[in-house]
Amino acid sequence: MTTLGWIFLLSSMVFVWGLTGWCYYKVLTVKGEIEIPPASLGG
Amino acid sequence: MAKHEAKQEWGTRVGVILAVSGSAVGLGNFLRFPGQAAANGGGAFMIPYFCALLLVGIPIGWAEWTMGRYGGRMGMHSAPSILGIFGKGRTFRYLGVIGVLIPLAVSFYYTYIEAWCLGYFWEYLNGGIGVDTAASITDQAATAGSFYNNLTGRAANGVFTGGTLETFTFWAITFAVNIYLVFRGISKGIEKFVSWAMPAMAVCALIVLGRVLTLGTPDPLHPDQNVINGLAYMWNPNFAALSNPQTWLAAAGQIFFSLSVGFGVIINYASYMKKKDDVVLSGLTASATNELFEVGFGGLITITASFVFLGTANMIGAVQGGTFGLGFTTLPVVFAHMGAFGNFVGAIWFFMLFLAAITSSISMYQPSLAFFEEALGWGRKQSTSLMVGICLVGSFLVMYFSKGGIFWSTIDDWVGTFLIFVLAMVQIIAFSWIFGIEKGWKEAHFGAQIQIPGFYKFIMKYVTPTYLLLVFAAFCWQNLGAWVKSVADEPLRQGAVGLILGTALLLAVCTRIGEKRWRAAGMDIDGKHGPKH
Repeated sequence: MTTLGWIFLLSSMVFVWGLTGWCYYKVLTVKGEIEIPPASLGG
Repeated sequence: MAKHEAKQEWGTRVGVILAVSGSAVGLGNFLRFPGQAAANGGGAFMIPYFCALLLVGIPIGWAEWTMGRYGGRMGMHSAPSILGIFGKGRTFRYLGVIGVLIPLAVSFYYTYIEAWCLGYFWEYLNGGIGVDTAASITDQAATAGSFYNNLTGRAANGVFTGGTLETFTFWAITFAVNIYLVFRGISKGIEKFVSWAMPAMAVCALIVLGRVLTLGTPDPLHPDQNVINGLAYMWNPNFAALSNPQTWLAAAGQIFFSLSVGFGVIINYASYMKKKDDVVLSGLTASATNELFEVGFGGLITITASFVFLGTANMIGAVQGGTFGLGFTTLPVVFAHMGAFGNFVGAIWFFMLFLAAITSSISMYQPSLAFFEEALGWGRKQSTSLMVGICLVGSFLVMYFSKGGIFWSTIDDWVGTFLIFVLAMVQIIAFSWIFGIEKGWKEAHFGAQIQIPGFYKFIMKYVTPTYLLLVFAAFCWQNLGAWVKSVADEPLRQGAVGLILGTALLLAVCTRIGEKRWRAAGMDIDGKHGPKH
């Protein structure tokens, strides 16, 4: 296994596990909708 | 929908996320992805892969979730009615028929493939499929191949008229379970099932992954065949592959088919959400869950295990065997080499594939059931009967003309591949251009629990359609000529195309009936006013 192979393997794992973990943490802990500035919604 | 029947709705937020994730996670996550990555640059494949995820997969997913929930608020649950609203008229309403045709036609053969997983699971519970490790690797692969050909009916036409009724029995059980779950309804059937099936699938994947990563160097005579080298085979990057357009096309195709976008399922599932349920975080979570199974499990298990037992010399053939070759003929050889635990790991593996398949297949029946209910004004029992009738005709044809898998692979080519591109294009254009990105952006953030980064407005309007169009054009350039020729040359393929067209015609007629009923009821089917917030 080359160093670049390890980098691609580990960074991909960190990305998918991290994103999934963060998403489920938000789903289970955030209550109600967030306040979004009207300007950022456009129109 | 019949007025006396209760309104369908998801019970929980996690329920709808798991249902959409379950729809997306299928055999391709564990079998197709590793083969594609290994053949297209290894670790370097992840660069175009994640680009496609961020620029195509997630944005179309957000659009579908938003359109589905919006349609649900207006009392609509099927792609024709919802796309009629977003596309503001009849053209998009009839293009929406594709959103019912895809899941329905794919279910004709998908449940059959699901039955193979159940069949393999049963065989491994009862001692394996008879691969003798004392024989040469070639003979072992031949034994596994022979078992596969017989179980799946590739050897001769008529899988349910052959010597045994084994495959047909597994299919009947699989089909009955699917229909039972869908008939039970969104919350009591689908949601309840995926709430245990998805965690169970994760546990199975962890068990198999744990076994694979602790294999070490099982054969001292071949010290190079170890886990680290197996991982290297999959992950060592070949940057030269990035200059090949085929790599980018393969990565975009993998993301696209894996996430179930453009399939007609998300738009239907999201229509049963409550009116202020978040769609932004839910859509992202469903995509992330799919990626976890695909990269986090699929990227570590299949190729690594195959390499450890088969070595470099046999890997090229294993990867070229494609999704089914890798899963149903290569891995059984690998399990045979695992000794006492082989049958246990094999049973767990095929049970996991069965769960992956059934959580996808139940999502294929619900869109047509919802469509028949709302277009024809029928109750759940009548609509289910019609859907079951169509599926029986389609599935029996698939199982009767089983030789070489020609019949079902033709449906897979034209419906499960070509039409998915078309529907995704239709959806992103309806959302970003006809409904309007500003209005769509606001709608997506109604009840949102996270905010989509502002630059995604530009991506959803310009980048995603362009990226999709380029990939679709390259795809057609590579495949369409050969596909058309093969249909012209092969009567069996013509039969499969006839089945697709017949089903599409029936759905278009139902849409026409629905259109008249909806207009007569004074519904806003051209999206002139929108729902009341």
